[in-house]
Amino acid sequence: MATVIAASSLRTCFGDGARTFAALLDGRSGVGALRHPLTGQLNVTAGYQIDEPAPGATLRAGTWLRECVDEALTRAAIDPARSRVVALVGTGLRELAAVEELALTGTATTLSRLHFGPAVRDAAPGLAEVVTIANACSAGGHALALAQDLIETGEADAVVVGAADTMTASMLAMIGKVTPTPTTRIRPFDRDRTGVLLGEGAAALVVVGEDRTGPAVGRLLATGLSCDAVHETAPDVDGISRAMRDAWSRAGRSPEEVDLVVAHGTGTALNDPTECAALLRCLPRPGAPLVTAVKGAVGHLSGAAALANLDVALRCLASGVVPPVVGLVNPLSEGDGLTFVRDARARRGITLAQVNAFGFGGVNAVTLVEAL
Amino acid sequence: MTGTQAPPAADAASDAHDSRGVPGRQVREKLDGATAPAIAVAVTSYSIHLPADGRFGAAAADLPPVDPACPSDRAHTLLGRKGLLYKEPATRLALCAVHRALGLPDGARPDTTLDPGTAIVAASNLGNVATVVDVTRAVVREGSRGVSPMAAPNASSNVIASSIALWFRLGGPNLMVCSGETAGLDALALGALLLRARRADRVLVVGAEPDDETAVAVRRGPAAADAAPPMRAGAACVVLEPVARAATPLATVTVGSTVRRREDVPPWPARVVVGPGHLDPASAWGDCYGAQGVLQTALAARLVAEGAGSVAVLCGGDEDGWRTALLTPATTNGRQP
Repeated sequence: MATVIAASSLRTCFGDGARTFAALLDGRSGVGALRHPLTGQLNVTAGYQIDEPAPGATLRAGTWLRECVDEALTRAAIDPARSRVVALVGTGLRELAAVEELALTGTATTLSRLHFGPAVRDAAPGLAEVVTIANACSAGGHALALAQDLIETGEADAVVVGAADTMTASMLAMIGKVTPTPTTRIRPFDRDRTGVLLGEGAAALVVVGEDRTGPAVGRLLATGLSCDAVHETAPDVDGISRAMRDAWSRAGRSPEEVDLVVAHGTGTALNDPTECAALLRCLPRPGAPLVTAVKGAVGHLSGAAALANLDVALRCLASGVVPPVVGLVNPLSEGDGLTFVRDARARRGITLAQVNAFGFGGVNAVTLVEAL
Repeated sequence: MTGTQAPPAADAASDAHDSRGVPGRQVREKLDGATAPAIAVAVTSYSIHLPADGRFGAAAADLPPVDPACPSDRAHTLLGRKGLLYKEPATRLALCAVHRALGLPDGARPDTTLDPGTAIVAASNLGNVATVVDVTRAVVREGSRGVSPMAAPNASSNVIASSIALWFRLGGPNLMVCSGETAGLDALALGALLLRARRADRVLVVGAEPDDETAVAVRRGPAAADAAPPMRAGAACVVLEPVARAATPLATVTVGSTVRRREDVPPWPARVVVGPGHLDPASAWGDCYGAQGVLQTALAARLVAEGAGSVAVLCGGDEDGWRTALLTPATTNGRQP
């Protein structure tokens, strides 16, 4: 059974999905000075943060997730009390910021808030089954894959796919450790890129079977999954290519059909050339689709990155307008042959989009979504 | 009890049952999901890896004996020495449990080619919280220069699942489940789903938790409840394969939906139940939290294989809800055409 995305909801530093898309189309960046209790000790000076709840407050990711789940369920007109609904939440860093309070203040927060069952149930009290999947920067894509599986095997009538992430001191410290000079902004696919910065955000969407009548914002064709099993942190072109081919194979479609790639594009030394190599390898006409990326505008949303990309892809499908890669001036040579959207929005009929997400540990998720 | 020797028959090895060889198969051709019959799922191997812990007796009423396995700081006796240096205890225990479930020889890391047909679903809530807090303390003390970049992989919550993939070269879907009390059975459910969705032809479901100071503090939370069993470091692994391709299935397995309240758990279709209030390894052996559901499933597989008939598993708590699994004997003609 093919699956449909009934509704999608997003929170980034720009606000909701519509505001985020408007900012992207304008080429704006949401980067700002890092606000964190340990700013000054992290060798990270910038980030893409959400104002409310303010940085430093506890359980912020769960707050945004609750808002997104509430919004997505309302728009999808799904009542968890009246159909079999499962929730899958992808996250990179869970609510580990709350655990870090142990180091800062000596007390830990409520244990069950480390994962996202309580946050989802705050929005949907009747929802019993909430599974949190901590799959690094492709967590949302993995949750999306499993959601489609649950619908196609008939194990659920609807699946709420959520994702949420805020910043942790421990991950900021790691980013600070690998950059000699703090990065001031993300420049995906630029030859002068200087590395990644964290963003904050959440997303939720509702996946249902195609036979269900009601609201719909796009057709979910397939998500391909793979694990590199090559390196702990560095990406691998073979592993990424397996996920891309898995996606096209599961969808039963040809990669010739792709009109748009919403790339992972982290602006790091390793990701961007590796992602370009995989696209050049897997797409028979690599120059044909437009390639865009959002992290220069909204930062790296970690586990929520895949669903943020997907929300943007759905808006491109609906509007026929594709935002430029914010921060991209001179494309990297490894991207020769790809068609990056630069400087200004592009207008083109978009029917089928590929959405990439790759994570620490070599976990890859590639999603294909089509206009209705 | 320290695990310095290669385990004799009565050691953890006796609680590992392998019915397959090492990795190395290709993923099967994708079938048409709309018309293919539902795939029944078999447990084909399992392991329980509980290092010695003086707080818990070796023998417990009604529970089969599980002799002590090597602790995380002796993991090299099982896994070989190379590559363990920066691995956290929970990751080491998870690797040990997989090593046992795959029936690999002691002391050597397997030298295999990539197997894209085997998936990993790991369950752990607290595996990396010690690293997260230690790194934060180091930043507070001396800024980012006090942080070792070698700890970077451990700052990511999926480090257990991805480490298993890298160690054993398993390139199928790789999932890390961190959903609290139900995590172990959530992982089992997702493992079965990966088979039914034809995303893999073998799944290793692995649970692991540490018992370090940070993990215990987070598990206990601000309101300490002393009635709960203490945390114990441990790991377990259950190998799942489609019944139709399982050479020697030990049991078939189905996982139920999560319910909010324990009184909503449906009646048991089995005489033996592994879980709180029944045959309860947590009360006898200690609480393995996110790994508990995997450990209980491994125990249930052993009981079924030893002739107990059908065995149910109950896992969860009042915070995160309750989940069940049912393991039934695999008949010799139980293979699907």
